[in-house]
Amino acid sequence: MRRALWLLAGALALAGPALAEDAREPCAHRDPLRRPFFGDTHVHTRFSFDAWGQGTLAGPREAYRFARGEAIGLQPYDAEGRAGASIRLRRPLDYAVVTDHSDLLGETQICANPALPGHDSIVCRVMRAFPKLGYALINGHVYSSENPARYGFCGKDGELCIEAGRGPWREIQAAAEEFYDKSSACRFTTFVGYEWTGMPGGSNVHRNVVFRSAVAQDYPTTYIETPTQEGLWASLERECLDAGTGCDALAIPHNSNVSNGKMFTLPRDAAEARTRARLETLVEVTQHKGDSECRPGAEDELCDYETLLIPRMMDMATGGKTAPEDLPPRIFARETLTEGLALARGLEGVNPFQFGLIGATDTHLAAPGLVDEDEFKGHAAGTVSARFGIPAYPDRPDFNPGGLGVVWAEENSREALFDAMRRRETYGTSGPRHVVRFFGGWDYADELCGAPDFAARGYAGGVPMGGELPAREVDGPPKLLVWALRDPGDAGVPSAPLQRIQIVKGWVDAEGEGRERVYEVAGDADNGADVDLASCTPRGAGFEQLCSVWSDPGFDPAAPAYYYARVVENPSCRWNQWVCNAHGVDCQAGVVPDGLEACCDPEVPRTIQERAWTSPIWYTPERD
Amino acid sequence: MSPRATRWLLFGALVLALPLPTIGPFDGFVPTVRYAILLGAAGAVALAEGAAGPVPGILALLGANLALGLALVWALAWGLARLSRALPDGLRGGLALAAVAALLGVASLFEIYETGFGRAPRANLFGLFG
Repeated sequence: MRRALWLLAGALALAGPALAEDAREPCAHRDPLRRPFFGDTHVHTRFSFDAWGQGTLAGPREAYRFARGEAIGLQPYDAEGRAGASIRLRRPLDYAVVTDHSDLLGETQICANPALPGHDSIVCRVMRAFPKLGYALINGHVYSSENPARYGFCGKDGELCIEAGRGPWREIQAAAEEFYDKSSACRFTTFVGYEWTGMPGGSNVHRNVVFRSAVAQDYPTTYIETPTQEGLWASLERECLDAGTGCDALAIPHNSNVSNGKMFTLPRDAAEARTRARLETLVEVTQHKGDSECRPGAEDELCDYETLLIPRMMDMATGGKTAPEDLPPRIFARETLTEGLALARGLEGVNPFQFGLIGATDTHLAAPGLVDEDEFKGHAAGTVSARFGIPAYPDRPDFNPGGLGVVWAEENSREALFDAMRRRETYGTSGPRHVVRFFGGWDYADELCGAPDFAARGYAGGVPMGGELPAREVDGPPKLLVWALRDPGDAGVPSAPLQRIQIVKGWVDAEGEGRERVYEVAGDADNGADVDLASCTPRGAGFEQLCSVWSDPGFDPAAPAYYYARVVENPSCRWNQWVCNAHGVDCQAGVVPDGLEACCDPEVPRTIQERAWTSPIWYTPERD
Repeated sequence: MSPRATRWLLFGALVLALPLPTIGPFDGFVPTVRYAILLGAAGAVALAEGAAGPVPGILALLGANLALGLALVWALAWGLARLSRALPDGLRGGLALAAVAALLGVASLFEIYETGFGRAPRANLFGLFG
C-alpha cells in the first residue's frame, strides 16, 4: 500500500500540477467529432500604444462586444468622446483574444492620463503634440531597437511604467472574464492574451501569447525587459507552464514575412528545439500585413498572394520592395516547415518547426474578425494614419483585411479550443468561413467522399490536421482525406464558389535537401471563372464543396514529409476594388478623387482568390 | 524698402507660411518653420532619452527637410527681390508688404496645410502653431 502511494505521488510529480480550468457550466452541445469554431487571436485596443496613437479609443470590452456581433464606435471621436462612425460584424465570431502590446502598456497610460507621474515628460508632450512624430520616435526607441530601454520618466528600472501597466493588464483579464460565455450555451469564448513585440533592428519577431485559462502571468513579458524570443519562452515556462499554478500558454509567431529571417532562428540544441515545439505549435499565416505562407515564384503561382516583399517591418516606411529570391531564408512558413524536417535529424528527432497554421487580423481598431473585403477599415497602426478617421483608401495597397483562425474542437470552451490549438487541429482562412476537414492515414477507403460518417472514419482511421501519421500499417503511401465546403456567406455578400483543393507536400530527399511540391487533388484549376470588376460579382462555374481521397504518388518511406491542404476559391474582388467602385473611380475618364490614386495603379491587384490553409500532417520514417 | 530688406521680409514670410511638400516617407505640406519645430521636438527627445534605432534617421529626415526648405525659400526670396530691383523703393516695399499680407491672410483664413505629424489632418496658420 505504502509503495503504491509512493508510486502515485511520483506519477503526480512527474505529471506536474493539473492545469487550471475555469469554473463554468458544462456545454450543452459537445460533439466528439468536433466542430469548426471561427475566431481571431490577434486584436489590439486602446491599450496598445500604436492603436491609441492612431485614435482608437475602444478597449477590450468593446472588442469582445464587436466579436459577439454588437456595433462599436470608430474614430474620429469628438471632444465629448462620441465616435464619428461605427462598425459591426455581419456574423459574430465564436472566439476572440485581445492581444494588446505588452510593451508600452504603462507608457500609453502615463501619456494619456494627466494624473500619472511622467505625463508632462518631453516624450509624452511630443507624443501628444505631434502624434505621428512621437510614434516614429518611440517605435524606434523601443520596438525597433536592439537594446530597448524604458524612458527616463518610467523611473528606476522602469518601475513607474510597469506599475502603470498593471491597470490595463487587469482590465484585459477582467474583460476576458466578463465576456467568456460560461453558460451551457457556450456561444463565445475569450482568452487572456498579449503581444510580445520584439522588432530588433526593424525585423519583426512578434509573438501573441494566449493563456489556456484565467490563470496567467502576473505581468506580461515585454520586449523591453526580455528582448529575445528565447527569453520570452523562458519567462513563459518560469512564470506559467512550470510555475505550478496550473497556468498554460502558447506563443503564436506572426509576420515572419517581415522578419528578415529572424522569426525562425535555428535552435542551438535539442532542448531549445523542444521548448519551441512546446510553446509554438501555431503560426499566424495571414493577417493585415500580408501572407506568410510561401515565397512567390514560378513553382507555385498561388504564392503570389498578398505578399509584401519587404524583408523587415521597418522597411515599410521606405517603400522599397525586394525580389522574392533575394528575401532571406525561413521568412515563409512553408520553407520553414521543410527545414524543420531536415533539422530534426540533428536534434534528437525533435522538429523545432512542427507548427500548425492559423489566420488572424491584427486589427488596431478593436475590431476582431472584420475580414470581409468590402468592409476593410485598415490596419490603423502602420504608415497610413487613421487618427482623423478612416481614409477613403483605408490602407497601403499591399495590406489586406486579414483572416480568421478556425479551431476544430468538441465544444466552444477555453479548454477545448486551447487544447485543439496545442494539438494544431486548426486552419487559417483569408477571411471566408470555409469548412475544411483534413485527415491522414494509411488505409482510408477510396469512396469515403460523401460518406455520412466521413469525419468518424477520418478520426478512426488516422489523424486530423496537425497530427503525425501513425506508424505505417500497410505498404504503400499514406492516404490523405480532404473535404471543403464553400462559405455560405451572409445576405448580400456570399463567398465565391470553390475552385480547387491542393495538397502541398514538403519532404527531405535522400541527399538531405528540402523539397516541395503542390498537387491538384480536387476541383478545376482551369474553370475560367472570373469576376465582373464593375459590380464585383463572381462569374463562372465553381463548386459548393470539394472532396478527395488522395495518395501521394511520390511517397518515399525513408523521407520525412509533411502535407497540408490549400483550398482555393474562384476569383473575387480585392478590397481596393470595392473601395474604388464605392467612390466611383473611373481611371479611363480621369475620375479619381483625392486619396484614391492607387485605384489606377496597375501594380495593385484588383482581384484575389480567397483561400484556406490547413495545418500540416507529418510523416516521420520509423527509426531503425 | 531696399532690395536687401525686401529679400529678408519675403524670406521670413515664406519660411513662416509657404507650404512645401515633405520629402521622405511621411506625408505633409507645411511651411519650413514647421520642420524646425519638429526637429527641435525630436532633438529634445533624443537628447533626453538617447537616439536608438531609427531615431537618427528621423532627425536626419527632418533636418534635410528643413535645410531644403530654407534653401528653396531663400532662392525664391532672392529671386523675387532681384526681379523687383528696378522698381522704386516705395513701390517695391508696398508690393512686398502686400504679397506678405496676402500669403499670411490666405494661410490664416484657409486650411492650406497638411500637417502630417500633427494632431489634425489639415490646418491653417493658427492651427499649425496652436
